[in-house]
Amino acid sequence: MAMGDVIQLEKLTKTYGTRRGLVELNLTVTEGEVFGYLGPNGAGKSTTIRLLLDLIRPTSGQARLFGRDPHEHAVELHRRIGYLAGDFVVNPRQRVGECLTFLADLRGGVPRARIQELAARLDLDLTARIKALSKGNRQKVGLIQAFMHHPDLLILDEPTSGLDPLVQQTFLDLVREAKAAGQTVFMSSHIMAEVEAVADRVGIIREGRLVALDTVARLRDHALHRFEITFTGPIDQAALTTLPGISDLTIDGPTARFALATDPNELIQILARHQVTSLRASEPDLEELFFTYYQPTDAAKETSHA
Amino acid sequence: MPNVLTKTLWDSRRSLTGFAAGTALVGTMYAGFYPQVADGAMGQAVEGFSPALREALNMEDIASAAGYLGSSVFGIIVPLIAVIYGIATGTRAIAGDEEAGYLDLLLAHPVSRTRLLLHRSAALAIGAGILAGLVLLAMLAIRNTAHLDTVSIDQFAAQCVALALLSTVFGSIAVTIGAATGSRAAALAGSAAVGVLAYAANTFATQLGADGLRYASPFHYYIGNEPLRNGFQWTDLGILAATIAVLVLIATTVFNRRDLTS
Repeated sequence: MAMGDVIQLEKLTKTYGTRRGLVELNLTVTEGEVFGYLGPNGAGKSTTIRLLLDLIRPTSGQARLFGRDPHEHAVELHRRIGYLAGDFVVNPRQRVGECLTFLADLRGGVPRARIQELAARLDLDLTARIKALSKGNRQKVGLIQAFMHHPDLLILDEPTSGLDPLVQQTFLDLVREAKAAGQTVFMSSHIMAEVEAVADRVGIIREGRLVALDTVARLRDHALHRFEITFTGPIDQAALTTLPGISDLTIDGPTARFALATDPNELIQILARHQVTSLRASEPDLEELFFTYYQPTDAAKETSHA
Repeated sequence: MPNVLTKTLWDSRRSLTGFAAGTALVGTMYAGFYPQVADGAMGQAVEGFSPALREALNMEDIASAAGYLGSSVFGIIVPLIAVIYGIATGTRAIAGDEEAGYLDLLLAHPVSRTRLLLHRSAALAIGAGILAGLVLLAMLAIRNTAHLDTVSIDQFAAQCVALALLSTVFGSIAVTIGAATGSRAAALAGSAAVGVLAYAANTFATQLGADGLRYASPFHYYIGNEPLRNGFQWTDLGILAATIAVLVLIATTVFNRRDLTS
């Protein structure tokens, strides 16, 4: 193992009876990286996370955290980890401050000022009873307990579920600060946009298998760019159709609309031979790319490259 | 230092207070009837029962304070509530909190499963001790006014220590079933079933012609050798304590091996 690998999964497999959870998953997350773990609900995201935390045990293969076995070294590893569960629940009869102090003490204590600072940033009342909180406010309690002790590794399962957009921004700031401080972040989500904003690399999981693994930048290169071009003269439809990676071509009077899955060099050569009134290229839609990986069949993936 | 043990006790403070106060109150009420029973009316009524029934109900000597307390207060009502407390607390300790989703967070902290289970079991034992201690204080408070002074403080204490251990035994059975299955329903139903069977085995063993059966019942080691008459029964207390130790050991082993339910 390389020195800087924080998470290392080797052929990690988990089956629940006959139900498939994870199938021979290989994945490495390096130190200081923000890794987005994407997939639809039920794809195996939480299974992976629960395996990392020794809440469940692999059927075969192995996981390593900081080079160590998650089961054998559970207690020492958990000292270095902050974890937010997908459905964060605690005994609702206690007060927020009481709950956070207890969890902090399990880790040997966290300065009171740190808890207060996080609560203030997330606009959370430490004296409120947890049962009186909305879903979003409970999620804030979960975020604070995950971040408060500056863990080397943050494992966040659907961290923004239930948070309003303003708080989501605060959350993204917290992740950026963690990254700046050299902490590693492993966060799962089924929404591309929130991961795209902070993640260095993204893994897409479907039906227990990793179907894509790349940097956000490179995924973006492979993503569809949408074009809307208005010509002054007649449209050279034949030339456009021969463009590699073109799809969804529609001609509407002087305007052509289409999507391109490759770089636009050949398009530019065609355009150079014509008079163009206006050209609009939209940001590559990662969400769209993401959905192609989500489709249960491979046929869908081919349409984006056709 | 706040930790899993103190936090567990603190979180259960309402239910523990309710159980302990309730048990002490009910125990005091029944023990308070003793002067009327000693008058002989009850004794005469029991005379009419067959000897087998009298033995089964532990009523051979209902007119003495030790006989009356051993058959009614410490024979049925107080151990019943104490065992219910044990089962409720033992069920919540692992399976209840696991089904509620609380254990994921705790075990993602630097807390081993062994430590969690030991702290939860210790909280159960301390809770049972507080309950039994309050019963003892209540008995001592009415000892003179209710004419119970033929039973010494030492003998009351012996019975209450046995009570605490009995409650903890059934709580530990619930902990163990919960640790093995993660199912609240299984822990609750399983330990309640064992409780009923164990009570029946101790009470009706002779009638069933299986005298040896009572030695399999925790209730025998709780009251079979009449601590209210004979004081501390160290062997019986030792057997109850050893049962708890074995159960906790089994619970720790199986809990460490399985997946947590989600």
